[in-house]
Parts: sequence; C-alpha cells; structure tokens
Amino acid sequence: MSKDTNNTYWRSLNQLAQNEEYKNFLHREFPENGSEMNDNISRRNFLQIMGASVALAGLAACRKPVQKILPFSKQPEDLVPGIPLYYATAAPFQDYVTGLVVETNEGRPTKVEGNELHPSGKGASGLYEQASILDLYDMDRSRHPRKNGEKAEWADFVAFANDHFSDTSRRIAFITEASSSQTVTRLRNQALAKFPNAKWVTYEPFGDDNLLYGSELAFGRKLRPVYHFDKAAVTVSLDNDFILTAANSVESTRRFSQSRNVETGDDSMNRLYVVENNYTVTGTMADHRLRIKSGEIALFGYALAAKLAESITGLGAFSGYSNAFSQHSWVAVLAEELLNNRGRSILTAGADHAPELHAVVAAVNLALGNVNETVTWHALPFAEPGDNRKAFADLVREIGNGAYDTVVITGTNPSYTAPADLGFDDAIKQAGTVIHLSGHNDETSKNAGWHINRAHYLEQWGDGFSYTGVQSIIQPMIQPLFGGKSEIEFLAAVVYGEDKTGHELVRETWSGAITGDFDRGWNKILHDGLLENSGFGAVSPALNGTFDSAAREAIGAASPVNGIELVFKTDPKLFDGRLANNPWLQELPDPITKITWDNVALMSPATADRLGFKGSAFSSKDEPVARIEAGGDSFEIAVWILPGHADDSVTVYQGYGRQSIGRVADGIGVNLYAFRTTGNMLSRSDVSVSNTGRLYPIAATQDHHSMEGRPLIREASLEQYRNEPNFANDMVEVPGIPEGEEHAINLFTGPQYPEHQPQWGMAIDLNTCTGCGVCTIACQAENNIPVVGKREVKRGREMHWIRVDRYFNGSTEDPQVVQQPVPCMHCEQAPCEQVCPVAATAHSDDGLNQMTYNRCIGTRYCANNCPYKVRRFNFFNYPKEFLTTGSDPEIIQMAMNPDVSIRFRGVMEKCTYCVQRISRAKIDTKRETGNSIKPADGTVKTACQQACPAGAITFGDLTDSNSIVSRTKRNNRNYLLLEELNIRPRTSYLAKLRNPNPKLA
Amino acid sequence: MSKKYEYVPEQPLVQGNHTFSSITSLIGDIVERPTPMWWYIAFGVSNLLLAMLLGMIAYLVWEGTGIWGLNNPVGWGWAIINFVWWVGIGHAGTLISAILFLFRQGWRTAINRFAEAMTIFAVMCAGIFPAIHVGRIWVVYWMFPIPNQMQMWPNFNSPLLWDVFAVSTYFTVSLLFWYVGLVPDFATLRDRVKSKFGRIIYGFFALGWTGGNRQWQHYEKSYLILAGLATPLVLSVHTIVSFDFAVSIIPGWHTTIFPPYFVAGAIFSGFAMVMTLMIIARKIYGLEDIMTINHIEKMNMIILVTGTMVGFAYVMEFFIAWYGGVEYEKFAFINRAIGPYAWAYWLMFLCNVFSPQFFWSKRIRRSVTASFILSIVVNIGMWFERFVITVTSLAQDFLPGSWGYYSPTWVDVLTYVGTFGLFFTNFLLFLRFMPMVAIAEIKMVMPQADPHYYDENGDEPVLTDKFAKKPDVNA
Repeated sequence: MSKDTNNTYWRSLNQLAQNEEYKNFLHREFPENGSEMNDNISRRNFLQIMGASVALAGLAACRKPVQKILPFSKQPEDLVPGIPLYYATAAPFQDYVTGLVVETNEGRPTKVEGNELHPSGKGASGLYEQASILDLYDMDRSRHPRKNGEKAEWADFVAFANDHFSDTSRRIAFITEASSSQTVTRLRNQALAKFPNAKWVTYEPFGDDNLLYGSELAFGRKLRPVYHFDKAAVTVSLDNDFILTAANSVESTRRFSQSRNVETGDDSMNRLYVVENNYTVTGTMADHRLRIKSGEIALFGYALAAKLAESITGLGAFSGYSNAFSQHSWVAVLAEELLNNRGRSILTAGADHAPELHAVVAAVNLALGNVNETVTWHALPFAEPGDNRKAFADLVREIGNGAYDTVVITGTNPSYTAPADLGFDDAIKQAGTVIHLSGHNDETSKNAGWHINRAHYLEQWGDGFSYTGVQSIIQPMIQPLFGGKSEIEFLAAVVYGEDKTGHELVRETWSGAITGDFDRGWNKILHDGLLENSGFGAVSPALNGTFDSAAREAIGAASPVNGIELVFKTDPKLFDGRLANNPWLQELPDPITKITWDNVALMSPATADRLGFKGSAFSSKDEPVARIEAGGDSFEIAVWILPGHADDSVTVYQGYGRQSIGRVADGIGVNLYAFRTTGNMLSRSDVSVSNTGRLYPIAATQDHHSMEGRPLIREASLEQYRNEPNFANDMVEVPGIPEGEEHAINLFTGPQYPEHQPQWGMAIDLNTCTGCGVCTIACQAENNIPVVGKREVKRGREMHWIRVDRYFNGSTEDPQVVQQPVPCMHCEQAPCEQVCPVAATAHSDDGLNQMTYNRCIGTRYCANNCPYKVRRFNFFNYPKEFLTTGSDPEIIQMAMNPDVSIRFRGVMEKCTYCVQRISRAKIDTKRETGNSIKPADGTVKTACQQACPAGAITFGDLTDSNSIVSRTKRNNRNYLLLEELNIRPRTSYLAKLRNPNPKLA
Repeated sequence: MSKKYEYVPEQPLVQGNHTFSSITSLIGDIVERPTPMWWYIAFGVSNLLLAMLLGMIAYLVWEGTGIWGLNNPVGWGWAIINFVWWVGIGHAGTLISAILFLFRQGWRTAINRFAEAMTIFAVMCAGIFPAIHVGRIWVVYWMFPIPNQMQMWPNFNSPLLWDVFAVSTYFTVSLLFWYVGLVPDFATLRDRVKSKFGRIIYGFFALGWTGGNRQWQHYEKSYLILAGLATPLVLSVHTIVSFDFAVSIIPGWHTTIFPPYFVAGAIFSGFAMVMTLMIIARKIYGLEDIMTINHIEKMNMIILVTGTMVGFAYVMEFFIAWYGGVEYEKFAFINRAIGPYAWAYWLMFLCNVFSPQFFWSKRIRRSVTASFILSIVVNIGMWFERFVITVTSLAQDFLPGSWGYYSPTWVDVLTYVGTFGLFFTNFLLFLRFMPMVAIAEIKMVMPQADPHYYDENGDEPVLTDKFAKKPDVNA
C-alpha cells in the first residue's frame, strides 16, 4: 500500500527492466480489428482467427514456447517472487461497489475474490467481479484518447479542457453512468456550481432507476430498499431476479440461502413465490412459480394489493379494486401467506418494472409491517431526486434542439443503449463538442469528437458506497496498462482544467471523512477495504400524501396485454452489453438455457408451437430463426423454446450485436436496443412474430434437459424430509455393503492413505445452489482454463472444469428447474485411473485424483470411463490460441495464474480441487507447525467454494471430524452421486428441498 | 426292411482334373506373366487413396485430434471403430490358416494364403488407428514398457496396454505363420521365374529350400507349432480388444458377453471380407477350379453360423440389460433401438442378423452373385456394430446433462477411406508378386495326392457319372 503517488506500480517485469522489446511493445499501435473476421460463424469465436496463426507457426506448434525471465536487481519490499500478495479494493458497478481482495503475482492482478471483512459478500463474489480480471487484460480496450477519431494524447485533452471549460457560461450536458462514488458526487457538485448552465443526468439502460423513483412516489424521497431475505419467512418476488441479475445479487443470494440452510428436519426454511414471464435463476429457486406475461405482472401486484387491502390498513387506494387476476388462486394464497407473516415477509418487484408498481410494493411492505424488519430503506447521498429515465429522455431532446454546446458522457454508452426513438446519435450532432470517456472505442465514442480511454477499476483510485452503504476506497493494483484515465481524473480535467491524479482527488474527498490521524485512517481503509462501521442508516418512511392518487391513477391505467409481448431483459452474463468483450462470460452457459455466444428469443413451447417453430432435434444444433416486427422495424433472431416461459411472451436479452468494439463481442448475437422505446423500456406489445424458415446454429452446452427419472438430483419437500430424513440415501439401494461398512465390497484394494496426510473432500448443497455459474468463472480464472469459441462449444468441447447441469422436472409447459454443479468427484476408486495406459492420472496420498499433464498421451479413455463426464480434452492447442493471438499476446498472458500449468494440445484436464492452493497451504502449515501438513480447517478454499455467494460448496479435510466439510457430510441429506457404481467419490451432494404451500400443491 | 445306402464321396477339393504341374503353372503363371493393365489402374487408385491416408494423418498430427468429430462425451469415434473393424477382419485369415488346419479341413488350402495376407494387411490398417488417435502422437511410445528416465512403467491395469501387446503379438505370429507357409512356394517361383532379379529375390526368401525330406519334416513341424500358437490368438486378440470396452464402467460397454461376441463378430466379418476378395480374384485369375463353388458354400455356412451367433448376442444383451435390472444399462440398450442412433442400430441388425439368413437356402449359398453382395452387406453391418457399441454408449451415459451427439467430420471419413488405399496397395502387390494360393499345400489335398488314387496299373480311376471329370486338357 502506498502513501504517495510516486510509488512504483509496474505492469510487468519487462517494464521494470525497461528493455527495448517492451518499449517497442508499448508504442506499437493496436490494429483496428474486425476486418479479419468476416466469416459468419468463425467470427463468433476468436479461435478460428487464430487458426491461421497456428498454421503459420510451423513446427513451433509441436514445441513449447521458450520465454525469457529477468531477475529483480532490487527486490521491492514484501515481494517474494512466487508468493502472491493480496490487496483490498472495491469493484464499482452502477451505483454501488463490491468489496474485493485481489491476488497479485509479481505486480500482476490475477484473481479477484470477495472481501471477507465486507458485510455484503463476506468473501463471496459475483459473475461480474470474477470475470472483471479478464476485462483488465482485454487487448481491445482503447489505448489512447482520440480527437475526431485520430490518435491524441491525454495532455492534448487536458489542454483542450483547460481552454474549452474556462468559459463557465457554457451550456454543458453531463451524461454519466450511475455511480456511488463520493468523489464523483463532489466533482458533480463542483461542476454544477462552476457551470450554471450545465445539466447533469445519470443514464443506465438497466438499473434501479424505476425502483428508486418508485420510492419517491411512495415516500416523497428517493430511498433504496434493502431486502433481508434471511429474516423473511415468505418472499414474494414479482419478476425480481434478485439472485442473479438484480443489483447487489451477491448479498441477496447470501441472505436468501441463509434461511435455506437446513441441517436437520427441525430447521425451518423460507418460502419463495416467484411471478415472472421468463425463467430466471430466482424462478428456479422458487417453491412456487407462476408464469404470466411481463406486462401483466403489475396487474397481478395490484390485485394482490387489493386483496391485502381487505385485511390491513395503509392500502386504501386499492379498496374495491379488482382486475383479471383478482380471482386468481395465487392472489388469495399469497395474501394469506403475507398476512400470516406480517413483519416476516417480503414483497419485491423487478427493477425494470414501472415506478408505480415499486411504489405499490413499498406501500404493501409498509402496510405489512415489514419495514425495518425484512425491508430497510436507505437514503442515498449520491442520488438526485426525480425520474432519471425521463430526465435523460428530456435532456436528449434538448440536446437535439441545440440547447447544449457541449456534451460530456462518462462510461455509459447511449449510442448503443439509448432507446431508438430518442434518436440519440442525431441529437448529439447538434452539440458542438461531444466528449466521451469509455473503456473501448465504442459506438458512442465513434460519434464523439473526443474519446478518452478509461482505466479499468483495478488500475484506478476511486471510492464508493456498497449497496448497503459501506464505504470503500478503490486502490489500483497496477498502473493503467494503456494509460487510461479514471472517471474522476477525467471529470477533474473538465471541472478544474488540469491533470489531477486520482489519488489526489480521492484523498481530497476523504480528507474530512476520516477522524483521527488521516494517514492512519486512510491506510486502515485501504488495508481493510472498507471504512469501519460505515453503512447507510435505516430510515422509517411514511407514505406520501399523493401516493393514493398516484396509485389510483396507475391502477386505472393498467390493462392486460393483448397478443404477443416482447420483453427486454439484461443478459445474465453480459448485463447490458458492457461485458460483451469478455470471452469468459460469452462462453459461460446461460444458467437456464445453457446457451453460449448468442442471444435468442425465448418463448414457451405452446407459443412456439402456435407460431410454427420447432426446436432442433437432439442430433442437431440448428434452431429456427424468427422475424420479429415491432414498430415498423424488424429483426431476425434464433428462437429457443424454453419450458416454463409465459405464453404469448417473447423474452430477449440485450447486450449483443456489438459492432467493432472488440474481437470477442463483435457480431455476436443481435442488438435489440433499437427496439426499445422510452415509453416502456421493459416490454412492448405491438409486435408480430413470423417464421423465416431459416436455421441458425446455437452452441448450447447441454442438449438433454430431463433427468430421465434418474436419482441424480435428489429432491423432497420439507414435509417429506421431516417424515423421512434419510430420503436422499434411500432413493438408491447400493448392493454389497457389508454390515458396519461404509462402502460396498470391492475387487481391488483401494489406495492406502498415510496417517499424516489430510484427506480432501467436498460437499455441495443443492438446496442453496442457485446455478448462477459464478463457480465456473471463478474456476476458469483460477485454473487458466482457455476459451474455445462458439464453434468448439457447439461441437461439445467446452473446457469448464465445473459445469452446472440444469434439468427440467414436471410438465413441458410449467416445469420446475433443478441445478447441479458437477466438478471432478475425486473418486477413491477412480475409473479413469484404472484405464489410463500410461498412468497419467493417479491418486495422491491426500486423496486427490491427480492429472499429470506431462505424462498424458491423450487416449481419452479416462474421459470415456468417467461416469460424471467431467474430464476435458485439449482437442486443439486451445491455450496457444487463447494466449498467443493478436498483436499483444503478452497482455492476456498476464491474466494467467502462475501456480497453474498451461495445458498443451492433446492432454486431458479436469478439476484438481485447486491443488495449487492445497499445496501452498500444506507448505505454509508445515513451515508454521514444523511437522504437520494438515492445514487448519478453512485455510484451503477452492476457487468455486470461495466465490459461491450461496455458500453451497464446502471443502476441507475429512480426517478432521470437526471440519466443516466433515460436519456437512454428516447431514442426512448428504448423498453420493452414482454411489451404486462403488467408485467412492469424495464430492458429495446435499439433497434439495422445497417448501411448497399445501394450498397450491 | 432293409434300406439301401449309397456312398456319396466328398467332392474333390480341386476340380478340373488338374495335375500337379498344371496347378503349379496355374498359380505360378500369375506372377510370371506380364503385369496386366487393370492391375496398374487398380494400383494407381489404391496409391492415391494411400496418399490421401498419409495426408490425413499428417493433417491430424499437425492440427490435433480436434479435426475429427470427437467431443466431450464421445472421446472415441471413427478411429476406434475402424481399428476394431479392421482387426476383426483380420481374424478370418488366422482362423482359416490355423484353426482349420488343426481341424484338418483340407478345403482351407484354397484360400488360406490370401486370407492370411488379408489378415496381415488388415492388422496393418487397424494398427494405424490406436497410434494416431492419441492426443500427443509424438509420445505414443510411452505405451510400451521401455526403460526411461521417468522411471515409469505403463499402467498394466489398462486394457489399452493389453491391446498393445495383443495386437503386436498377433501381427508378429501371423506374419511368421504366413512366411513359413510361403517358403516352399517361394522356392517354386525361384525355380520358375526367368528374370535374374526375380530369382535372387525369391531365392533370398526361399531360404535355400530344396524340397528335401528333412526340410519337409522341419517345415511341417514348425507349421504345426505356429498353427498351435496362432489358434489361441484368434480367440485372445479380439477378446482383448473387447476388453477395451468391457473393462470400463460405461453402460453398453460393461458387459461380460463381449469376448465371445466380439470373436464371433470378427470371424463373421473376416469371412465376409475373404469372400469378397476371393470372388473377385477367382474371376480375374480364372481360379474357379481351386476356389470352387463348394468353397463358397462352406464359407457361407460359417457366415450363417457366426452371423446367427452375433444375432444371439444382440438379443442376449437386451435380455441381460432387462434381467440385470440396472437402469442405466437398460436405458443404454433401449436407447440404441429407439434413440438418436436407432438408424445405425437397425442398419446393423439388418445387415448382420437378417441378411445372412438368406444362406439357409442352398441356391443362394451357391450363388456367386448373392454371396458377393451379402459379403459386402455383412461388412457394412459389422462396421455399424462397432459404431453402435462405441458411439451410442458414450454419447448417452449416466448424466443426461452431459449427453451429446457425435457426427464425423470429412477428415474422419477420408481417413477411413484412405485405409482401403493402404490395404489394396498391399494386397495388389501381394497378388502380383506372391503365389496367391499355397501351391505346395493345395497339391496335398488334390485327389492325386491320395496314395490310393491310382489303380494297380498306375492309371487314373474311372469315376462315376456324378463326378465325371472333364476332358483332360493337358493330355
């Protein structure tokens, strides 16, 4: 941790050494990409581009590359080569930050983990944080400012800003992305003070805008609700995917799973009702799920409020109201549940829904006495009153009318994400000067006179509030790789007209906020990653006087949706498209559809049938293509038939169809922002869908969606579990277990495990696992797993070491979904080990099924004989393709974990239980204790376990009967997958429970 | 009431009333005549296919196994199918030359020589695949127990290692057996060919054979010993190949019926291949007197028997899957019949079980055309049998979430087609330069070889009308 800005952050050892080669590399221009990727399918995977380089590489393909290493001449303090250092920081995402700890190896950040001290994640993290490390090393990031498309220097911009913004009468429109940063807020206030004719608007295509504005409608001021799912006995979610795509999902997931942790039948479990149109991860966790059109969810909410109004006060606006849902069986049941659990229930609605619905939801929670019990309300120091979306639309219209001479856009990318009816691109042409700060030279940058390349959050100083108000300082892990500037440095140049470092700016902001010795306090915040005891205070709001009339107006205007609706949602992986150039996320299977590298139109089987779409057969991966017409325009997109989707509703994910922003994102999927309108950003019903008759290849990682009645994921209701606590193990009879023995008899003597060795094991709780896929990305980041591209995924060659199997259960129209993460089971009688002709996979003394890459000749027999099919084969030289392509392969190589071998073409690989972490812990333990190599419980965490927000994965030493994993495995829900094969897996599962309401069963 | 029985002598194995010398000429002339034009054309085509095979292998080594259609559940595809198929074909040669020899089946002498050649060339084709299908071909020698700096033995538990030993032993013994049988015939050719070069080459391989009594004694003993050695190999090689599957735990592979079932299938396909080749060769070279319609009929009977055994195995597998009560096993077999690969399964069933049933009819059994067509049908069926076993079991095993579908790429197809180039290149060279029928052996089964063949006056016997001999052309 540094005290002054002159502290040395280096990008690589080469830079420290300042050798010629590196200087050349720094000055080399990054070529405009895209032109070489013309082929339709191949450009969807950047692999094939690399095919050429393999062909040209000649016999080098058969040799491992030789690389130079250089020693430090002076070793920096604390840095021992080979020993990683961990620094706390925070990742800003929209209007909150997530506390993180970042592993750096010799100055390179290589892995992001949640900060265990931080109360929101408590060590867990989400998809975006896990994948963000790869964004840092994204070769396609913009590498320099651009003036009218020509390369410029930061100093040029500072000179320009000094001149341009010296005229304080300028009419400036600031359009910024949502930010919780104290420094950004300070700069905003200074900017608005300095430029009296300026206007500042926050624009996010998806986010909490409606949610916050809804609270303003209800309570008269913008308040943020925080739901304490751990305290709620009943949760009713109206299309709120709080487990994955909603803000602060990591904390929500953690809280939700806390009340799903069932150790014995005496434990209670919360109950979740979900009403939604599309199948979300939250929907899969529901005990009861109702599928209705997105456009009718508000109606359902109002009907529920009306039903509740019969029994409780505070909902007077709804007395006597009824609509099509009033007689729905769910309304009465939910009302009863909520009433029976006053103060212990939650009603929540998806952030994309109308502010009026959020206002009603807020009023219902208040009326139910949930406020300050399960729902707390918090004032946001950075939020401006008013409807952000309306403010943005108004501002764009004003810009179009020539009301502003300068438009300053930070982060957000409205040329891509703004609703098409705003005509954003035309509007900003009316402004004389457009300045855009962004990580990529993206759609908006190309429309802007000035483009400033933005630094990654791991390269910058900054600050912010977590969702619940815990304050953090963002400290850089590395000097900006491409000389990017942070949002605050950029805004400082605009406001002050001078080049101020982020470090200065943040310290200025915090100078008044730290009590006692500033440097001491500052260092402590940097060290801990958060300001101790910070957090938003809870406020006790009261309903606004105008709420009743606003609510009456809203329910009066609400009407059922006729015909087919088209619903726009964020992508579970790419969010609004800002993460589209991240190949890990592109290749992560969607948690529900298992699709990679594409977006599709999701619809129910009945709707697809009615519209004449037939999904592909098992042997084909070509899906029908629909033409969807909306508002006089049309687009074509592949159809994916999703059981459990609402009928007459089509859901599409935004974030795809990028053009020339990067080699990963370009041309993948369809851009649908052009079909969004300001009137209703969530959905539109003026659409017609027709079948083009064409087919389009879709790469999904799972082709079969039924468990075929096999006892793979074992599930029971809470009631059944209480009556039959051993149901999971009773589902399968394992023959041949002698009296008093744990396992069935075996032909072979198993491996002998020495006393002094720990014995590793894992347990995965299917009751808390949500199937979100964070484990997959965390594993990919930790274990240097290459990205293989769409074509290879389509051929079934994805490399993920831990996958999540998703099965539908029940009717085709309205099934339940169950999820099961499958890593290597580390069988004690491993079938893979027996069949390898060269003994490349063998057992270690601490019970790991090890894969020796150097010995592997690649017969693939082990993978064939693995009943769990967790082994992954390097059919091509994937790492070479992933790590040595483009003009600057050195950059992506920096993301690699130095403790994990890069696997060569033709070898098998699979989950190792993070053996590098195990070995490090064993060495450390031996050094500390002098004789033991059994690390204390909890010292070794696998990457998947560490990241999991639900805490579903436990791992540890089985010889320690008090270790968490040993205790977890004693849970009577614990079972072994395919135990009847007698291969004795070390990974076990805890059976899933649901808590259905008998009245809806 | 007494019934009158008539003695019907067995038909002579060599027809056309050949003499020893006419047999020698009939076979020896094939080698000594100028090379016919069709041979050059066929050899050219085979060479092109062989070049294609080499090209495909080079491409494979260069790019990696990814150019094949393999994927995550299906780690073995056409390469292993082709391996098992070619090894299976090889079996007929050894069966004919070793087992039928031990059982004193004289008719084997008409076909044993080129059936053995077929064995050797088929095993060569087969042997390519285990070597090239691995991910890192440059270290494939780690499969052999060679002392090395890693101080690592191969894993003797692995059926793949057993395969290495089984197939290499089989190839060595087959080659030796074939060569020992060739020695007297090489000597015959050495004495007949006119070119000096030919005399040197044949002479070299004839090992100084003079046809002396002691040499014949040694020859017969060594031939008998080799036949004794080769006989268990006929059963063991395909048994061990079947272990590649049977030792695993994958439903559809993990089956104790595999060894006999694989051996029966191997003999079935091998005989079909011998039939295909024989029908072409006897026509082109005018060997109908040696490879008579009686031979064809006998072979068709073996095809019928082994085909029915294979059919029995198919049905038995289903029965055991049901009887065993393991749901994964049950699914694997039902899925074969009605799953995504049902087309392959029923094609296999049709070719292997139904088509040989035509041979119950004596007319079809003795029809050259029908035999030719059915022999090809059988080999298609046997290829699909290996496809069904290898692919369907892997594609859909325990966890439905990881199920996949396998389709070959053009490289898979061309590599397989290319192996025919290797096979026919070798086979055409064999036809051209080696005695394709065992001259010495066939003479032993001619009627003239019987010490009682000639009457007291040393004249040929007068045959009954039924087996009236043709006019002696050599007279």
